[in-house]
Amino acid sequence: MEELVPELPVDPAVDKGRVPDRSSAEIPELHDVDCPDDLREEIEERMSRYPDRKSASIPALWAVQRRYGWCTPDGIRQAAAVMRVTPAYLESVASFYDLLHTSPAGEHRVHVCTNISCWMRGADDLLEAFAEAAGCDPHEARHGALSPDGKVFLSGFECLGACDIAPMASIDERYFGPLEAADAATAIEQLVAGGEVLPEKSLERRPLAGDRNGARGGGDA
Amino acid sequence: MPETRVLLEHAEDANLRTIDGYRGYGGYASLEKAYRQMEPDEVLKELEDSGLRGRGGAGFAMGKKASFLPRGDMPKYLCCNADESEPGAFKDRELMQRNPHQLIEGIAIAARAAGAGHAFIFIRGEYDLQGDILDAAVAEAYEAGYLGKDILGSHCDLELVVHRGAGAYICGEETALLDALEGKRGNPRLKPPFPAVQGLYGGPTLINNVETLSNVPHIVAKGAEWFKGFGTEQSPGTKVVSVSGRVKRPGNYEVELGIPTRELICDLAGGPLDGCELKAFYPGGSSSPVLKAEEGLDLPYSFEAMAEAGSMLGSGSIIVADDTVSIPHMALRTARFYHHESCGKCTPCREGTNWTVKMLERVVRGEATPMDLDIVASVQENIIGNCLCVLGDSMAMPVGAMVRKFRDEFEAVIAEAGDETAEPERIAAVQGPMESVGVGP
Amino acid sequence: MSKGQEITIVIDGREVGATEGEMLHDAAKRGDVEIPIFCYEPKLGPPVGACRMCLVEIEGVPKLQTSCSTPVRDGMVVNTRSEKVKEAQNAVVEFLLVNHPLDCPVCDKGGECPLQDITMGWGPGKSRFTDPKRHFEKPLPLSPLVAIDRERCILCYRCVRFSQEVAEDSQLQLLERGDRTYVGTFDERPYVAPFHGNITDICPVGALTNYTYRFRARPWDVEEAGSVCTLCPSQCNVSFTVRDEQVKRVIARDNEEVDDGWLCDRGRYGFEMFAAEERVTEPRLRGGAAAGWDEAIAKAAAGLRHASEIDHTGAGSNSDVPGRVAAIVGDASNEEGFLVQKILREALGSPHVESRRAGGASRETLLRLAQPDLAVRTKDLDDADAILVVGTDPLHDMSILDLRIRKAIRRNGAKLVVATDRPTALDGGAVAVHRYAPGNAASVFTELGGEDVLLKAESVVVVWGERIAREGEATLDALLDLATTLGLAANDSSGLLEVPELANGRGLREAGCLPDAGPGLSETSAHLPALSHGKGALVGKTTEEIRAALESGELKSLILFGADPLRDFPDTEAWERALTSVDHLIVFSMFENATTAKADVVFPLETHAEKDGTVTHPDGRLQRVRPSAARPGSIRPNYGVLAELALALGHDTGITSQPSAFAALAEAVPFYAGLDDAEISGRGIRWQDRDPASAFPEPGEDAGTPSSLATRRSGVGGLSPEASGSSRAKRSEGVPTSSLQLGTYRDLWAGPITELNPPLKFLQPEQRIEVSPSDAERLGLDSGDAVRVSQNGTSVQAKVAVKERVQEGVCFLTEGIVDANANELLNGGPVQVEIQKVER
Ligand SMILES: Cc1cc2nc3c(=O)[nH]c(=O)nc-3n(C[C@H](O)[C@H](O)[C@H](O)COP(=O)(O)O)c2cc1C
Ligand code: SF4
Ligand code: FES
Repeated sequence: MEELVPELPVDPAVDKGRVPDRSSAEIPELHDVDCPDDLREEIEERMSRYPDRKSASIPALWAVQRRYGWCTPDGIRQAAAVMRVTPAYLESVASFYDLLHTSPAGEHRVHVCTNISCWMRGADDLLEAFAEAAGCDPHEARHGALSPDGKVFLSGFECLGACDIAPMASIDERYFGPLEAADAATAIEQLVAGGEVLPEKSLERRPLAGDRNGARGGGDA
Repeated sequence: MPETRVLLEHAEDANLRTIDGYRGYGGYASLEKAYRQMEPDEVLKELEDSGLRGRGGAGFAMGKKASFLPRGDMPKYLCCNADESEPGAFKDRELMQRNPHQLIEGIAIAARAAGAGHAFIFIRGEYDLQGDILDAAVAEAYEAGYLGKDILGSHCDLELVVHRGAGAYICGEETALLDALEGKRGNPRLKPPFPAVQGLYGGPTLINNVETLSNVPHIVAKGAEWFKGFGTEQSPGTKVVSVSGRVKRPGNYEVELGIPTRELICDLAGGPLDGCELKAFYPGGSSSPVLKAEEGLDLPYSFEAMAEAGSMLGSGSIIVADDTVSIPHMALRTARFYHHESCGKCTPCREGTNWTVKMLERVVRGEATPMDLDIVASVQENIIGNCLCVLGDSMAMPVGAMVRKFRDEFEAVIAEAGDETAEPERIAAVQGPMESVGVGP
Repeated sequence: MSKGQEITIVIDGREVGATEGEMLHDAAKRGDVEIPIFCYEPKLGPPVGACRMCLVEIEGVPKLQTSCSTPVRDGMVVNTRSEKVKEAQNAVVEFLLVNHPLDCPVCDKGGECPLQDITMGWGPGKSRFTDPKRHFEKPLPLSPLVAIDRERCILCYRCVRFSQEVAEDSQLQLLERGDRTYVGTFDERPYVAPFHGNITDICPVGALTNYTYRFRARPWDVEEAGSVCTLCPSQCNVSFTVRDEQVKRVIARDNEEVDDGWLCDRGRYGFEMFAAEERVTEPRLRGGAAAGWDEAIAKAAAGLRHASEIDHTGAGSNSDVPGRVAAIVGDASNEEGFLVQKILREALGSPHVESRRAGGASRETLLRLAQPDLAVRTKDLDDADAILVVGTDPLHDMSILDLRIRKAIRRNGAKLVVATDRPTALDGGAVAVHRYAPGNAASVFTELGGEDVLLKAESVVVVWGERIAREGEATLDALLDLATTLGLAANDSSGLLEVPELANGRGLREAGCLPDAGPGLSETSAHLPALSHGKGALVGKTTEEIRAALESGELKSLILFGADPLRDFPDTEAWERALTSVDHLIVFSMFENATTAKADVVFPLETHAEKDGTVTHPDGRLQRVRPSAARPGSIRPNYGVLAELALALGHDTGITSQPSAFAALAEAVPFYAGLDDAEISGRGIRWQDRDPASAFPEPGEDAGTPSSLATRRSGVGGLSPEASGSSRAKRSEGVPTSSLQLGTYRDLWAGPITELNPPLKFLQPEQRIEVSPSDAERLGLDSGDAVRVSQNGTSVQAKVAVKERVQEGVCFLTEGIVDANANELLNGGPVQVEIQKVER
């Protein structure tokens, strides 16, 4: 009898104090996730726009991120319950995309483009200037760093599609450039103060390249 | 040499964004024509005759692609590719921001030609401003009855949804875009089946770039012949070209296809910065093999000429490098981008981009040998043609070209960077932007 | 796969026959050309073309193509060995090794690793990659049963596709992007799903390994032994990995007629319970006194003889049926069941043989239900146009069917209709869901008769749970009427597929373990020559009747073979009384339990890894269970023990070996005639596919004699449809509003499989009472609340689980768990229960 009992593996989950709850990863039921009504309604409205409700996964995750600052596990479970998909499915989607955060991401987002064209015009210095202004470690900032006060999420970014205003940055989803190192400090101050950021550098206000200074094909950058 | 503005005409008028502003310049007349006076097939024919080539990268004839969609009343879809994430490209941003209704009108007309009842604009999540502008414009268009049920009494319906991505270059690849739109991770699909046959939700799907679709209202308004009056025989029409990098006036310039590349770079974009000399440029975005200034400047800016020169027009985005730019570092930046953006689905792209970055980092750190350059070159060869989609090739081609065309510079970097005393001095020699390049991971 | 016509293609200069539309890789394989693959696995659905290992050159196509995703065309000329292809293959292998560690010597997959093999066969020999590889903490628990080593993962997509496209639990996912991608779960929670062990079979590297197998053995010091898992009616084909005569691992032995190559986690990890402390390893007498075999058999025989010799006609008997001994068979092979009924009928002259936990159809009805023209093969589910699941949740009752039905819907667009009292795991994929009040399946058939999806469909497979037979004949008549309405008999690929309550329920019935039918479902009188007194068929007692007769003293002795009434049968208290009052109780059991505690003689049973015998799949496929591991203690083959017992009772069965036992069975069952081991072979064979099938008895041969079960049954044992009103559960007035109608089910994980099995212990179900949100609100209950669920006097503790899909007025509890067993509350009829919160 004795030699028949095989040496059993220590249940690693128990080991790690993670005794699995059988239903933890299944599609959660709405009444178990207490999803805020407005969030539920927004996600439902999004789902209604598509022939297949699953198409709303990115919009739903955007909604979660807008509400909680990042795609929190609870937020993901709430969205999953509304969409009738597993939380794992949504986390998998969220983690694929650069703009969806699966960890805390501050109140303000500053993305500094460090891709070819911006790099050619001083992006690395700009990123360092922002890192200094926000108090982040410049090396960390290349891949994303939170300022010590947790307010600003600073990250080097691949081409943001604004090489014409290189070097540039996206600040709370709006584009600004061309920026000098000095602009970084100003921008961060304005951000934290809650005022308008670098109005004169905003892309929105910038005329077509060919129309700058009135004359088409004239005027230097 | 001034621009030839068709798509960017009136773009200086901020009011063009609104439906009234757009109508003020005759906007939506083409849509009325297409829905009231033309049969879907006539619209399709006009587009085919125009010879309009895709502006998103592949340069495939737009009308022809639309004609591939099967007839019959299964649900069909149209996707406007507004993911514009290729380094150097920012033309679609301009078109959507300044003239959203031109795009919406183009989509509505193309949808009629293709028999699509549901259309989507897949816009990269970073383009938040442009997304808001589109949302507003789409609402106006619904309001005006240009979208929705029974458009202008034609018994044709069209639902248009602006779908924001969330930051992934790969979603610009048409089949990855479909997966993303279906709510999945943006991984490319096997082709065949091609989207025209089996695309979104398994239905026939037409996928076109923002600029391609923005051309449609003009073709319907003025006719294929008028359109072919611009550009070359194989590259008809005008092109909004994004010029950036080391030039005086980076920006979007709309020109007839086929004009000398020099005019774009040196006249419109103002040429090299003072005291600098042009060295090389990507003629069609970061995915196109770089051309040395001397080989490229006098080529006509057309699909065919760039292809003959062993590169491509791609999305029509020129990135200019001058003598201050270290090509090995540029190669590294390029490789890093594709490594970061590779979806990871197929082996050669996932591991090849990663391997290439690691090798190039050693190169610029001076921890490489010329033998490593051969490995870099051969790894690029091993990627090309073996991947699921062409993202892998999009790194391998330019990086391969750079190692081939600027081998001496690579060897110099290895040698100099390897030499403790030489390194700081050399990097200081190039200006600002270069300094922190390539240090660390 | 498309059923195109035969064509020829040229591979490496050789002509190869192929089927239009099949994938090039498969065509090549049949032509003995091996093309290396990693991500391709047809069982996982359409190819993904991700790994790029299978690139080949096709004439006329400029780029290399992935052979896993390229359908063949007639005259296609393919080169799998050209320089270009070799370079690509070298390149892909070299790329795969960029991030793959070189820890093969300490890797469980070593020796059976596709990556190892392909690297040898198609790789460049040496890698030029010198930079650091990516690092992950390793190994990590993906679940308590499966370890994941992310450094070894080659991102082939297989495991995540299994989770998404086969099990459809969508819990295992790819996270992050590019070369940062890794396989994981939501919020790092364990991957807990009933089929998740399959990912360890399909992972082509050592990234996913079983904790139950890690470092237990190496491929070169084990043997693989093919057998059949008898832990549920799915009877999946398995291969035991045996070392030192002990099972170390269970893996699938792909049989698309049965399991389609998958296993549930019960079948995969259940084997650890073979070695449980509670295992009975030698015969013993009351009070635990160990006994030698001879002594135990003599004691058992003596008790039986004594009981059966008491005159049954004399005082104290109100029975027109002879015999003071009864037997109930549970977990047993065909041979074992056959021998038990032989002992009862031929040695003891008693007709009281049962194999059903409660209720059950009469012989006539069984005959009508089992007519060969109403039968379907499991595989027919794959191409069914419509599938009806009624009275069962395959996930719990016959797990592998759950995957099979999902496959039919996903791949073949089959239309699913579900009709159950309790919400099932399949509801999500159903085009229509019908709910009926617990115990009232009868009422749902009228609705089903009008279900367009079913009426319009060419081929329909009706998967029905034997459970509904507990309601009585009327329900089964309704089922048969539906079968007629749907014309199931007319269409070969349409028919009924029963989900029996017992793993070998069908086999036991066909072997004669029924009160009103002998082997081959023949009339019982035939088997009681000495005793048949011209009254037509002699019909024995049903399970409930046996229980009552034990209590009343009419029956003096009981043989329980692999049956555990105190856990598995309804009305635990009544059984408690019955087993207490019986004079002489003989229990054959694998484990010590509440029932063996009451036994006068206990005999050990073999596990399905030790047993030698046959079982009959619910679709009529006879399958061979082969001994693969050593029997612990002094355990002997069960058939031998039974034969000896018969001998001790003065009856020589002539059975001395498994073959002779099976031969006797095949002789006694006309429609098994001539079957032998060779014909059954490794894959099994359906008796309906053999000529002797014509010998299957016609129903209605014996005109319902007075004692015929059918007449006694109508309404008995369950409730007659009239009795229970509409199919929707409505609280009939008078009943206090705090009461709900109780429905019960048998949870997949209920029983020794989790209780006695350390690796699966974490899955042991605690009693949950499932209630609808509206009732929860009305009764002030929240998920997680502790409550007492009671029914006149009896009560069990449970935790509340509010479930959106549970209908108002009803609640559900699981049966078969060691404490708070729902069987304690059942009593044959419909049950209303009271629910009170218990404060802790
Ligand atoms: C990796 C990759 C990224 C791409 N990104 C874009 C893009 O951002 N926008 C775009 O219009 N086309 C992009 N394309 C091209 C599309 O796949 C597709 O060819 C194009 O959208 C078709 O539209 P067109 O014919 O109008 O050019 C990309 C292709 C690849 C392989
Ligand atoms: S864990 Fe195994 S099966 Fe899963 S992706 Fe990695 S290699 Fe493939
Ligand atoms: S097996 Fe064909 S691509 Fe993986």
